[in-house]
Amino acid sequence: MTEQLDRRADTTRLQILRAASRQFARKSYSLVSLDDILADAEVTKGAMYFHFRSKHALAAAIVDYGAAAARASVDQLLARKLSGLETLIDISYLIAIEDIGDEMARAGLNLLESVGRTDGLQANLLGQWVTAFAAVAGKAVRDGDITEDCDPESVGGLLVSMYLGLRQTSNLADPERYLHDLEKMWTLVMAGFVKPDRIDYVNQFIKRRTAVAIKKATPL
Amino acid sequence: MVRQARSEATRRKIITSAVELFNEIGYPATGLGDIIERAEMTKGALYYHFDSKESLATAIIEEGSARLVEAFRSITTSSAPTLESMIHGVFVVADLMNTDQIARSGTHLLRAFGEFNDAAARTYRGWVAEMTERTRQAIDEGDLRTDLDPQAVGETIVGSMLGAELLSSATAAGADVLQRVARTWTVLLPAIVSQESLSYFDEFLARESMRHSPAPGAD
Repeated sequence: MTEQLDRRADTTRLQILRAASRQFARKSYSLVSLDDILADAEVTKGAMYFHFRSKHALAAAIVDYGAAAARASVDQLLARKLSGLETLIDISYLIAIEDIGDEMARAGLNLLESVGRTDGLQANLLGQWVTAFAAVAGKAVRDGDITEDCDPESVGGLLVSMYLGLRQTSNLADPERYLHDLEKMWTLVMAGFVKPDRIDYVNQFIKRRTAVAIKKATPL
Repeated sequence: MVRQARSEATRRKIITSAVELFNEIGYPATGLGDIIERAEMTKGALYYHFDSKESLATAIIEEGSARLVEAFRSITTSSAPTLESMIHGVFVVADLMNTDQIARSGTHLLRAFGEFNDAAARTYRGWVAEMTERTRQAIDEGDLRTDLDPQAVGETIVGSMLGAELLSSATAAGADVLQRVARTWTVLLPAIVSQESLSYFDEFLARESMRHSPAPGAD
């Protein structure tokens, strides 16, 4: 019986999260009102406050949800046992495709930028990303793709900054341009840490990812 | 609910024991009595789940091939170009055939039963269908030549994957299966890859093979 109630509560919670993501994916944090979310989710105010005390709590939950989903996809990628550098590239394309076409992912990243800054959420989560990327970059050093004198932590930091910057300078609503911009950034930064004799291959690897991603990505 | 869980645990125990014995002394030499003894259970418990040694073998074939197919699909559904995933997927499957006990036993039983067993025939057909479909996609993506017959390519890939495993188990107890798979691709790729993609796939395969060659410190 309690199990059934729990499940219903989970469904309601997810329903609210989805409705809120639809809003936060398209509008900035301050422009989204709780009433819009309530109307979209078709739940009562009581149900909403039972799950989320405030708009901010709701936003934090979406960020968490997106982060957990990203972690799961990255784990799946790691399980494929490709080389470290190829895995880093694949992760960036995977995140880009989700960011382009998935409301929860888009809302999560939008909110991370806007509300995450004040309460440590951003520092915490981005710190985790940098560490995770650094671990894969370390593998790429051992694979012989990234130069030995390169600090994996810095590569991790660079890639996270690069992606978050791309969200600002490019256009998520135009997948083809966005993915080409991602490709250009990779091509540029690679010269800084990839061994020269690997660059030709990796450039092609990236071009091929762009082509597949453009076919796959559908804007919101 | 509890009884169901217990029954499932018994079934697992029987399968695990049978797989151990098949891998140690082979299917023909293993008697149901050995399995009962290894699993530490009664004859009745075994017959409740499996009415013969062959039905036990069928269950192992099915579970083993399900694991392999699942591993292959988890790779081919990624965002990578299809041919890259096919090549990488075959390496992963060949590795699992050798390292996962149930998959290993299932592969050997599959060979022993071949056409005489429905599950075995289904498994082969499933692999060929899967590979044929991926071949079609890779042709669409421009990595494979457009004048190829997808079915023929699918059959050739499945045949060479299973053949590499067979040669490897027969001559080196499975230890060199990944090197054999790499050699198969080396021969096969120039025959099927489009002109524009060939040099890329040379490099792709070289990198893939290097990751699987036994080198100290590699992970």
